[in-house]
Formats: sequence, structure tokens, C-alpha cells
Amino acid sequence: MLRRLFTLATLGLACSGSFAQDTSLSAHLVPGKGWEPAATGFTFTDGLCTDAAGNLYFTDVKAGEGIYKIDAETGAVSLAVKDLPGISGLQIGPDGRFYACHNREKRIIAFPISGGDVQVLASDVKCNDLVVTQRGFIYFTETPTKSIHVITPEGKHRVAAEGQVNRPNGITVSPDEQTLVVSDHGGLHVWAFQIQPNGDLTAGAPFMTMRPAIGKEEALGDGATTEAEGRFFVTTEIGIQMFDPAGRLSGVIDKPTPESKVVSVEFAGKDHHTLFVAAGDSIYRRPMQTAGYFR
Amino acid sequence: MNWHPLLSLLLLPLTLTAAPQDDAYVLGPDSQQRREGVPQGKVLQMPAWTESQIFPGTTRDWWIYVPAQYQAGTPANVMIFCDGAGFVKEDGTFRVPVVFDNLIAAGEMPVTIGIFIQPGQFPPAQGESKPRSNRSFEYDSLGDRYARFLIEEILPAVAKDYTLTEDPEKRALVGNSSGGICAFTAAWERPDTFRRVISHIGSFTNIRGGYVYPALIRKTPKKPLRVFLQDGRNDLDNQFGNWPLANQDMAAALQFAGYPHQLVLGEGTHNAKHGASLFPDTVRWIWKD
Repeated sequence: MLRRLFTLATLGLACSGSFAQDTSLSAHLVPGKGWEPAATGFTFTDGLCTDAAGNLYFTDVKAGEGIYKIDAETGAVSLAVKDLPGISGLQIGPDGRFYACHNREKRIIAFPISGGDVQVLASDVKCNDLVVTQRGFIYFTETPTKSIHVITPEGKHRVAAEGQVNRPNGITVSPDEQTLVVSDHGGLHVWAFQIQPNGDLTAGAPFMTMRPAIGKEEALGDGATTEAEGRFFVTTEIGIQMFDPAGRLSGVIDKPTPESKVVSVEFAGKDHHTLFVAAGDSIYRRPMQTAGYFR
Repeated sequence: MNWHPLLSLLLLPLTLTAAPQDDAYVLGPDSQQRREGVPQGKVLQMPAWTESQIFPGTTRDWWIYVPAQYQAGTPANVMIFCDGAGFVKEDGTFRVPVVFDNLIAAGEMPVTIGIFIQPGQFPPAQGESKPRSNRSFEYDSLGDRYARFLIEEILPAVAKDYTLTEDPEKRALVGNSSGGICAFTAAWERPDTFRRVISHIGSFTNIRGGYVYPALIRKTPKKPLRVFLQDGRNDLDNQFGNWPLANQDMAAALQFAGYPHQLVLGEGTHNAKHGASLFPDTVRWIWKD
């Protein structure tokens, strides 16, 4: 009898699943479709970003030659920009150029999609990751100094927030670009800041709480991106954690393999419906029922 | 309450598709309107609270209710409402000013100043955009942050103009859903200040870790709290948890640990109608010595 009850109860739960809240992670996954390799044979992939067509760009921070591309249509992997090794954070700005944390050279640079003509925007910075807003403000994390920097459209560089996030790492914005979001590699929180018209960051607060590995006090928050409806995806030690716009943890997507270390995440592919993750020597992808904000 | 847990799980889907169960819950005479001759307290909308140090950058609306029987110099009881806008409206779901006027005039509750606070929001700093809500951060988070907001910011602001009690037994917190767990959390963290809790459809689930309370209640020396819980068998069942099971778990833990408490478990869904229909009786019970 108990067994029969249990079966009924399980069925019941499945039925009630159709009443799932907007925030349920499973509502955004595609049943039966998990991670599959998209690019392999690298050393330490990072710096995922996308363009309007859904091409994915990434770097191989420790061993690569420059910027690699996964074609949105064919899935073919190619070297898109040569002779720029050591980039850890990458995005295409509103002017159509790449903006990059050139970690190896301790500088922030901008350059055309096709390469060449590198403009140095800031130097002598221990930059980790960056985001560029539609208004042309560049925000980047400097992990060892617990600081978040801003470079204004006029090229003015200053520290925008300091001392709140223990090891600021991943960085992204809300779809209305009013809120800057920074993951903590040395804590449990993803922080939110108000973006002021002059680029200042105010009202920093530990808005989202990540789930750490069992027994750990740090979640190892790393790369972050934004979904079109305002959800945030953050890579951590245990997987990719999804937060709803209210900052509530909605679920954790498993890593591609238990041994994977995931450090960067982005929606790309046709219509930006594919989630890509940098996991050490490989990039993996999986289809989603939701799309990315960046394009 | 002694059901096999699987049985209550089983009930959920059967009733989810049934006609809404909430229509059974309607306001009684204590809530509908003031009885004849009952003096009317005043409701004051306060200037938006914009200078919070505990939740920097937020702005929030808030109101206070002052009963006609209040006398300056005589300490009034205090009842603080999370999501206060839904409680303070004369023609709203709860109609708290009407309930308080009726019960205070009848001598069925003490002279009580009501403080009705909205959750904070971040207004957009530029351009056109919706404000970002800080509600989940303020209400669902465990810890003493919200209690400190009340103790360090709101209560002193009200006490400037009104004589409020200093007795924690005479301070109550009320909330619905995430506001319900917020009310409990503030009292759990600061029983030196708050000792009476009213939670409707409380989110004692894993939104931000609140599912641990039944375990904490069982393994923590009893605190001097009195707790009222209301929920419905058709309340939420989602990725954060199962609301009716969580509230029953809370009640079982409070029972185990010897707390004065009540759980009223109805048939409703995730809304305030049942809690509102009970509210006058709830207030009578929560202020009982």
C-alpha cells in the first residue's frame, strides 16, 4: 500500500510540476539534452563572449595564441584574432570592438573584431574579467585588490568599489543596465551595485547567496552572465548557479564532468539559445529554453 | 496533523485543478467596518524612507496607525507589518485599521500603534526602468539584518513622536509569505525586542535557507516567543519547497520545543484571504498574556 501511495504521490508531484514557478531551473533546460563538447584540445579556456550572430569567442589564457571562435552556424572552431595571448575577460562593446582584460600584460585593451590596432585603455591593473555597458562604461574586477574599476566613455579610469567583495571575479549587468553584478570567488555571495549616471557604483549588497560545495565556506564564484529576462548565471565550484531577478537561487546546472572546473559562461549560438561554458581544456554547450542578454 | 506525509502530498494535485478554495474565506464583522460609535484611529503616510544605513540605496513607503485611544506618555504596544501596504488599506484584504479600531474599542486588544512597511526598492539611477526589488533579500535572508533595520532605524523614528513600549512582550511582527518568515526571523534573532509573531502562508522553505528553522527550533534553547502560523493545504509546492509541509514542520518543532503557538491549516492557496479572515481572532490570541 505504501508503495502504491508513493507512486501516486510521485505522479502527483509530476502533475503539480506544470504549475512550476517562473523561477524553476528545470523550466529553462531542454529535457534529454545535456552538455556536449563544442571545442576541445585547449589548456585553460576562459573569456567567453558572443556577437549579434551568436558566434562564441573565447581564449586559452595560459597557452593560447589569441581569440578563438565557434561559428554560430557550423560549430567550426577557428583562431579569430592572432598574437594576443593571455586574455582572461572579453566582450564586444557598443562600438563593435573587442574589449579585453589582457591579464598577462596587466592592461585593459580594445581592438577591432578582425584584430590589429590595439588601444590601451588602462595599464598596470591586475584585471580578471570585464563587462561593457551600452553606454560605453567598462567595469572590470581586480581580484587581489578586492576592487571593481570603471573606465568611462571619456577614458577616465578610477576605482568604483573596493573592499566589499572579498575576491571579485565574474562581472555582468542587469538587462536594464542599472545594476552591476559581481561574483565573489572568496565568499558565498554575488554582489549587486547600483550604477549611477556618472558610472559610480553605490549601494553594494550581497544580493544573491551561492551554494558552496558541502563542507566549504566559499562557493568559488567565477564567470557570470545575464539571461534576457534578467536571470543571472554564475559559475561556481559545484556548477552553474541560476538566480532569478529577485536574487533567489533557482537551481544549479551540473558541470559537464565532475572533475570540470568551470570559469566562464555565455549564451551564444543561433538566437543565443545555447549555453556555453569554459571547463578547463574544453568548451561545452547545451541548448536552453531561454536566451542570453548579450548579443 | 497526524497524517502520513505522503497523504498530504497526494492531496495537492487533486485539489490544484479543483475550483479555487480561497473563496470560502471572507472577512467577518470585526474586519468589514467599524461598529457604530467606535472611535477611528488615524493612518499617517510617512515620508518615504530613503536614508537606510542597513539597506543603503533603497527607498520604501511606510505608514503608521495611531488608535484614537492612544495617549502621549502612555506606552503603546507595537505591531509591525511586512508588506505593510496590503495591511493598512481600509478597503484592502486585511483592513487592519478597522480591525484595530473595533477590537481596541471593545477592550479585546491593547492600545497598539501599527507600523506598516513596504520592502525596499532601488529606484533606477538613470533613464526609464523598473525599480529593482530588495524584498527577497530583506525578507527571505536569515540573520539579524532586518531586525536591526527595525530596531536601529524604524522604531527610533516612530518613537520620536509617539510613546512606544519598551517591553518585548508588547511588540509583534506580522507578515505574509516571505514577510511571514521575515517576521519570524526578526523575533528569532532579537527576542530581546520582539516576542510575538504572526505568519500567514509563511515561506519556511529554501528560498534563502529558511527551511532550517524546524531543526534550529528543536536544537536551540527555547526562546520567549509566541508564534501564530496560518497556511493552506493548496499552498505552493515548487523548487523552494512545499509550503504546507514546511508550516506543519514548523508547528511540530514549536510543539516539540514547548513554544506557545498555533497552526491554522486551511484549504487555501498562496494568498492572504484565509489569514485575513482569521486576523481579528489572531490578534486577540497573539496579545493574550
